Amino acid sequence: MDIFNLLFANNLILALTKVFFLATDLMFILFLIVVFRQVTLMQSLVKDTTDSFLLKSIIIALIIGSVSLFLTALVIL
Amino acid sequence: MPDIFVATDKQTVNPATTLSEPLTQEKSAHLENLNETNFPQKRTHLFSAFYKNPQGIYFKNQEKDEKILLFIRRSIITNFKWVLVSIIFLLLPLLAYLFVNFGGQIISFPTKYILFFLAFYYLLVFTYIYVNFITWYFNIAFVTNIRVVDIDFSGLIYKNIAATKLSLIQDVSLIQAGAVRTFFNYGDVFVQTAGTYTNFEFEAAPQPENAVHIIEDLIGKPNGHL
Repeated sequence: MDIFNLLFANNLILALTKVFFLATDLMFILFLIVVFRQVTLMQSLVKDTTDSFLLKSIIIALIIGSVSLFLTALVIL
Repeated sequence: MPDIFVATDKQTVNPATTLSEPLTQEKSAHLENLNETNFPQKRTHLFSAFYKNPQGIYFKNQEKDEKILLFIRRSIITNFKWVLVSIIFLLLPLLAYLFVNFGGQIISFPTKYILFFLAFYYLLVFTYIYVNFITWYFNIAFVTNIRVVDIDFSGLIYKNIAATKLSLIQDVSLIQAGAVRTFFNYGDVFVQTAGTYTNFEFEAAPQPENAVHIIEDLIGKPNGHL
């Protein structure tokens, strides 16, 4: 038996869930930007020519992923 | 009468004393020897933890004739804990799915919410992996023919960079305690200096004896006192 059945939940709960997701995702994007900034700073300090591109690509991919999730939450949820 | 024994005019070469003065021919030859014969150049890879004379690594304020002779990160085995946690986190949704299928539903959400949550969850897990990796990756110590640099980077918001000239180094020591450290051959290397920054610590450095020998060789101390 479902204790919390939100399949037929009222719009208020779903709207609150959406707001929660948006806020969390926004904070997460800000965190990722801080990480990106740190990676850039550290790479300016010590540059490894073999890995710097890969490390930067990964953090950019994570930022793109979180921004697309934010937009998804904004439109679909 | 010919001399039976003539002491050769041996001069110990100490590159540490040459920093403020221009290099003499003998001293620069010694450094060249250290660079080329003892340290063949090697290209590092993403998981390099101990490299002699690495290729393709540069740092800020590196002087023209300055070469990195030794490059150290924490031993790769020190990442075991967060790698294990990451694997558990990666498998957790699968376990939750099995629990929901066989153990009965506790909570129901529309499918799009579940998919969104799952995507967000995996994004968090990958970020966790990435942050832990760069914390290990940027925690670096390196020894050049001029100085020793120690970069402590932890938790994204703490950064400590310390450097000292080889001429200011007084002593190098290591501590390797514990079965795991002995088995995987890593330990803490301590570099004592005469400056205000009294101690440089290379935590969990792989091949610590090797690192100590190399630094001792550079500061002109005999290698046999370990």
